[in-house]
Amino acid sequence: MNASDLYALRERFNQDRTLLCFNGPTSRSLIEEIGKALKNYLEAEHAHPAEAMDVFSVYIEMIQNIRQYALQRDDAEAAATVVIARGDSGGYVVSVGNLVDAADGDRLVAMIERLAGLDKAALKAEYKTQLRKPRTPGSASGAGLGLIDIARRAREPLQASLSPQGEDGRAFFSLSVAI
Amino acid sequence: MNDLNLPGTQSTPSIFTDARAGLLKMGGDSYPENSFELFGPVLEWVEAYLQQSSAPLRLELELLYLNTSSIKAVMEIFDLLEAAHAEGRDVSVEWYYDRRNERVGELAEEFKEDCTFPFAVIGRE
Repeated sequence: MNASDLYALRERFNQDRTLLCFNGPTSRSLIEEIGKALKNYLEAEHAHPAEAMDVFSVYIEMIQNIRQYALQRDDAEAAATVVIARGDSGGYVVSVGNLVDAADGDRLVAMIERLAGLDKAALKAEYKTQLRKPRTPGSASGAGLGLIDIARRAREPLQASLSPQGEDGRAFFSLSVAI
Repeated sequence: MNDLNLPGTQSTPSIFTDARAGLLKMGGDSYPENSFELFGPVLEWVEAYLQQSSAPLRLELELLYLNTSSIKAVMEIFDLLEAAHAEGRDVSVEWYYDRRNERVGELAEEFKEDCTFPFAVIGRE
């Protein structure tokens, strides 16, 4: 990237009132360090403790879903894209994305669209049902409980999108959550 | 019985057991990537204690943020208590939290909904 491109990128981040962003391979310690920075920023901004916990929690659940997905596929990089910004009408927006098999992406988007249509009481019922399901190691259904938890913390319906990448059947999945 | 005494880290809670006093204490954030690696020994300790002793068991919790896999593990601990309570054992939970963060109180209350043994959610100013 040349120097003026970096400037344009910075302008874009400023415009979006970005608090923190990251793009690339992840590791357990990196996730913790970013989480620590996020907590510190939110504290410095005097975010309400419950709001700060919601932002932190959505970040952790999303990134751990991505790392779990990568682990199942022996993908040591577990690359992710994370942007945490202030919302247009107050609050925060946590956006996280990763490359997935298009078919997995379709399933995720369908699951998220279904959750986005549920009210808080229905989400709670769904959460309790999912919590009681036996653990199935190595199954892709693991994303379920985390996504329901995210939907419960969101103050607007979840927004997901899938952008196909070339012809290898991969797609970039992204989820945006307003807190 | 082997007691546990694990100091907390950024992503794991402190865990302390005292079989002679019938006490299990946990406090702090819990969001490890593999929650069952962390809570496995706690589940084993609770199971062994309930089997080997007929004395009461008290849980003193000051847990804060739990990721969903930690929530699942903690639920399994409460399930053990619930089963013991059904057999007439004296088991109880006290969950302390800072009132400034209502999310922690809500989390504790949601656990409590599924338990019939004494379960106190105690807000501190």
